[in-house]
Amino acid sequence: MLGRMRVAGECEMLDSLEQELSEMIIDTCRVAGPLAAEIAPDAPLIGPDSPYGLDSLDAVEIVVAVQKNYQIRIEAQETSREVLQSLRSLAAYIRSQQN
Amino acid sequence: MQTPFPHRQTAHCESGVIANLLTHHGLPMSEAMAFGIGGGLFFGYLPFIRINGLPLTTFRTTPGGIFNRVTKRLGIGVACKNFKNPDQAMAELDSYLGRGVPVGMQTGVYWLPYFPPALRFHFNAHNMIAFGKKGDDYLISDPVFPEPVVCAASDLARARFAQGALAPKGRMYCITAVPKALDLAPAIRQSIRGVCRSMSAPFPLIGTRGIRFLAGQLERWPARLGDRRAILYLGNLIRMQEEIGTGGGGFRFIFAAFLQEAADVLGESRLLDLSQRMTAVGDLWREFAVAGARHCKGRAGEGEDFGDLARMLRRCGEEEGALLRELASLVR
Repeated sequence: MLGRMRVAGECEMLDSLEQELSEMIIDTCRVAGPLAAEIAPDAPLIGPDSPYGLDSLDAVEIVVAVQKNYQIRIEAQETSREVLQSLRSLAAYIRSQQN
Repeated sequence: MQTPFPHRQTAHCESGVIANLLTHHGLPMSEAMAFGIGGGLFFGYLPFIRINGLPLTTFRTTPGGIFNRVTKRLGIGVACKNFKNPDQAMAELDSYLGRGVPVGMQTGVYWLPYFPPALRFHFNAHNMIAFGKKGDDYLISDPVFPEPVVCAASDLARARFAQGALAPKGRMYCITAVPKALDLAPAIRQSIRGVCRSMSAPFPLIGTRGIRFLAGQLERWPARLGDRRAILYLGNLIRMQEEIGTGGGGFRFIFAAFLQEAADVLGESRLLDLSQRMTAVGDLWREFAVAGARHCKGRAGEGEDFGDLARMLRRCGEEEGALLRELASLVR
């Protein structure tokens, strides 16, 4: 799938929440590509450049998975577009809502 | 030229723009209140209108409707204008900005370069505000973004004259007069009555009847259209629900927040309970979307075939209908 090869180099490590989210996404969307830790924190989550190969229908599942696992709502699509840009932006949103 | 502008990030662009414009004019308002007073909640399944050959489903009122109703119901003076000529449209924008007036605009998302490329899509009813200009760049308060952004004049002109469905035709608008204080209570009652009326209208394609009708259609899609096309229709429905604009579930969440604020303004605590129930209805819509998305992706679990999806959709309609009937009884 397009974009599957764009995974992180050794210089960029995921923090623990980003790693957890990466595992959640792979599990939820049944991604058969890279390992969770291989994704760059700033790689696009959705779209043709997504290393997971996800599209907007997968985004719906991710939004609900975040709600179930973290009790945090991503309440609107225009917000979720921004939140779901990358593992880093998703993790930052979750942290901001937890605080 | 630059006017100080109270930019706030919001969930829905049209409600966010009107809320931010009113706040700028000294009448602080939340996005949820703007959405609610603007009667934003709606449902319509319009199979005779096709986008990319697929039937249109809408989960909110028509673009521009929220702005029109908020300004009318609160007695706010507005100036709106469409254009045929991009140069004229940009000159008029500059003229307003030169006088320190922030200007709302309808634009096509695809042509706005500050959107990350992966997030651009062909949607021509995106609202934003220009509040200044530096050189050839406009200072933009786009409610989708956490901070103000900058947009080059040529890009903005292209976005204002994007072609296709809901073409903006250079549409711009600004507030020309505001009352000294907002009298929210009558506007809230009027808007709730309006939403309840439109959602229970005696037409098969809109409101809760429309949800039921769509459920019946969806159930028959595999037999009528074949599996491949049925999945195409389902994917389109899910995308319209959760991708185009704010999403069906998302609009229910904003309306729930409106009911919460309305409870305070009207001194009606029963609205708090209805607010919580509306949030639960938003969750039901989202569960439907997730099950539909899984089906489209070929990872549907047990209880997620077309018949099950239709049942989920009917439940959304039933819960929403029951809630709106109770809501209507509170504002008679």
